[in-house]
Amino acid sequence: MAVREIVPDVYSVGAVDWDLRLFDALIGTPEGTSYNAFVVRGTEKTALIDTVDPKFEEDILKNLMKLGMSSLDYIVINHAEQDHSGTLPLLLEMFPGATVIADEKCCDLLDRLLQVPPERIQMVKDGDTLDLGGKTLEFLVAPWVHWPETMLTFEKEDGILFSCDLFGSHLATSELFVKDFATVYHAAKRYYAEIMMPFRTSVKAAMQKAAERNVAIIAPSHGPLYRDPSLILDAYEDWTSDAVKNLVLIPYVSMHGSTAKMVSFFTDALIERGVEVRPYDLTRADLGEVAMTSVDAATIVFAAPTVLFGPHPTAVHVAYLLGALKPKAKFVSVIGSFGWGGRTVQYLTDTLAPLKAEMIDPVYVRGYPGPEDLSALVDLADTIVKKHEGIVTKP
Amino acid sequence: MEKYQCMICGHVYDPAKGEPKQKIEAGIAFADLADDWICPVCGAAKTKFKPVA
Repeated sequence: MAVREIVPDVYSVGAVDWDLRLFDALIGTPEGTSYNAFVVRGTEKTALIDTVDPKFEEDILKNLMKLGMSSLDYIVINHAEQDHSGTLPLLLEMFPGATVIADEKCCDLLDRLLQVPPERIQMVKDGDTLDLGGKTLEFLVAPWVHWPETMLTFEKEDGILFSCDLFGSHLATSELFVKDFATVYHAAKRYYAEIMMPFRTSVKAAMQKAAERNVAIIAPSHGPLYRDPSLILDAYEDWTSDAVKNLVLIPYVSMHGSTAKMVSFFTDALIERGVEVRPYDLTRADLGEVAMTSVDAATIVFAAPTVLFGPHPTAVHVAYLLGALKPKAKFVSVIGSFGWGGRTVQYLTDTLAPLKAEMIDPVYVRGYPGPEDLSALVDLADTIVKKHEGIVTKP
Repeated sequence: MEKYQCMICGHVYDPAKGEPKQKIEAGIAFADLADDWICPVCGAAKTKFKPVA
């Protein structure tokens, strides 16, 4: 990414990863991503805020050269994850006079993950400030906004919040600032679902810190920057709230058509009852989309056949992921079909236990669903309608 | 004695069991754990634990 000025003496120097399609070897990033890094130049000192993924070390070095940076005083590390900190060892070699700024937990992780020598690090506490000369950085320790060591850096004079992963989006774009939020919204929500959702409570605490300050620009470390912080703050308000929507998420797998038949019948039953529904065939679905839908769903109904003695492995994979992402769904259930027995329902129920959702009686049938089985699905749809009454927010 | 659960990873501290991996014996109340005690699973601070309802 070319060097761009955000405000006078604050520059974007990161890199765009146009072609990334799988992040953490786990979740799709259909629109690529970016690793944003920033230079803040005061009259006395200069700081680099975050670095880039090591794949892009050349990009950040070129950008620093274009800015004529022959020396660097500070490198602020808001988050020790390697897609932001990975270039640090090289930068410390290139800039022998630079001191790393990190919070206590980050110091430990920088040592463990990147073997950064402790004598190069200056530890900061929540609320500490650093005067660069006309540009003051305030460090806001915000643990568990994804990792235990996460920190936000607020540049006071221009009101720029460098929020690292918080408020980010996996979106490769040539635009520095969000122009059309409708397009960024999708990527930002997906990012929230995949990365921030398990830490909803801590995210709210970090948002409070932002609310107490006069934030003019939000500069996350992935995706475009916000000149209107309310866009992303309002969206986060919605996603982190306890409210759920009149929506049923159905992740499903089918082998010989029995479970697929149940899903199709059940989907129609919900639609007829005015419930929004989103089935995903897990053999083809993008996990990020499943996670995104789980941000709002009041109910998750897993649909999986039994393979040998338990659930289809693809369903286990996704149930495990949803258990870890902890969406705020209030109800869960399991439907599907088996041949001769097994522990599918119990296994999936146990895997989804971290959601702390109420389990609605499953509909687990032997073989191809007959009239009685379909009628049980009608009952399940009716039960869901009743359960949703009063707890869902309707548009 | 009350059980406490980690709001980050869901780990439950059960005084009846103690925390064998951290060599904390059974019978120690959550309140009596050191202030710098951390979750044995995810490393979250003691303040991230809430009583289990």
